Amino acid sequence: MLKLEGIRAGYGDTEVLHGVDLVAKERVTTAIIGSSGSGKSTLLKVIMGFLRPTAGKLIIDGEDVAHVSEHEFARHRQKMGLVFQESALFDSLTVAENVGFFPYYREKKPWGKVLPLVREMLEMLDLPGIEHKYPAELSGGMRRRVALGRTLIYRPKILLYDEPTTGLDPTMIGHVDEIIREMNEKFQVTSILVSHDLESVLDVAEHVFLIQDGVAQDVGEPWKLLTSKDSRVMAFTKSWRDHVEMYRKLMHSKLPGANEASQGETP
Amino acid sequence: MGYVLSVFDFLGAVVIYAVRTFAYLFTGRLNLRLTARQMEFLGVNTIPLAVMVLSFVGATICYLLAEELGKRGAANYTGGFLLVAMLREFIPVLTGVVMAGKAGAAITSEIGSMKISSQIDALRALSTDPHWFLTAPRVIALFIMLPVVGAFAGVAGFYAGYAMVHYKIGLSYASFSAHVSTFTVAGDFFTSLIKCLVFGVVVAAVGCFMGYRVKGGAAGVGREVTNSVVVSIVMIFGLDLVLLPLNHWLKEIL
Repeated sequence: MLKLEGIRAGYGDTEVLHGVDLVAKERVTTAIIGSSGSGKSTLLKVIMGFLRPTAGKLIIDGEDVAHVSEHEFARHRQKMGLVFQESALFDSLTVAENVGFFPYYREKKPWGKVLPLVREMLEMLDLPGIEHKYPAELSGGMRRRVALGRTLIYRPKILLYDEPTTGLDPTMIGHVDEIIREMNEKFQVTSILVSHDLESVLDVAEHVFLIQDGVAQDVGEPWKLLTSKDSRVMAFTKSWRDHVEMYRKLMHSKLPGANEASQGETP
Repeated sequence: MGYVLSVFDFLGAVVIYAVRTFAYLFTGRLNLRLTARQMEFLGVNTIPLAVMVLSFVGATICYLLAEELGKRGAANYTGGFLLVAMLREFIPVLTGVVMAGKAGAAITSEIGSMKISSQIDALRALSTDPHWFLTAPRVIALFIMLPVVGAFAGVAGFYAGYAMVHYKIGLSYASFSAHVSTFTVAGDFFTSLIKCLVFGVVVAAVGCFMGYRVKGGAAGVGREVTNSVVVSIVMIFGLDLVLLPLNHWLKEIL
């Protein structure tokens, strides 16, 4: 389980997180949503230990690691895996070397033992036969999956996704969402999804936190985003609601027979 | 005051990078595969360029020496003078400059690009020390390869010098190399080697430091690549001045 209590953090004199409280329950997909500049990425950096909080507790498996040494944090970091927004694959390494990075470079396993693991992982991610390709030769969606493979290969207990669907086409978004669900079921991980993609969050998340102006709000189950009367939640979902309304109106006005078909529907 | 502090900050970081690298080397944690890859990429690929530069320099020096020494009937000293100058100054300094321009720039641009595309964070997320994965192999690669590249370049420079005097005044190889052993002593070779080793570490450490410092996208990469080359070259010339007594000490010892 991952728990944040009163986390304050920032850059230099600028405080970005003003006391964030958040709980990611074991084997539950928790989404952290919020608009750009709300502090989502900073929160992710704090969880991964790239940025140390100035105050508060960061509890991983019951241990407060907010202020431990870098060496000590590295030990806890092995329990977590981060799938970066832009994949962050190592350009100079092949797909196989990227996916097998942790067992080969960190765990010092011989390449002969790493390669079958890599092939198995690529097979599972529906990416067979691309071991020798370089990241530059892959599409955006393939890169995301390779990045996921690089993280999943060392079986982290907590899996963090940073904007996993940003910049992908609708088909690929659906595919990535499906992969996230599949991985959660297969590996029984605690997933934390940082995103501003409401549709994706509604699709895969089981619990939602809304972060705005450096403060996290526990929304609860995802459907509550659509029914909440809270002004901050409504402000965040407004543009999405407007889009849905616009599509509904378009459907009614443009599609032949749409008006007649909808007359029998319950309002 | 801020500028002075930043200079000390920079020098401290370069020393720390070098010390950490050698700590990895002496504790057996250096990844030899990554180091070999960098030796090929940064070292072997620089040999043609260094050979070309030192050949031009050797030929130019010999042209001037042959002209002046020839007037005084001392043309057969040309090879000896050239080799001493090559060993003490031209091989380490010019190979260092060539390395700064090619390998140092490559190191900064690669690490800088990795930084802006979150690859450095990805290394940390994979519980891997970026200094172990990126800095140490590059510093050791240049530490080993700068003397190797220098040796190739030095030989090329010497023979390019001979070709020039042979073309200009028709001096035979026997006359050209007649006083080589008179002028050159073991201390000159060790001076060259030590300077090459030091400059190799400097170029790689500065390149890495500037790479990690990159901020603000592609423009930031370009800015730090320029800084990396300029600072490395200034440091090479500065250290060359500081290491002037080295040759004297070595001659006394050897």
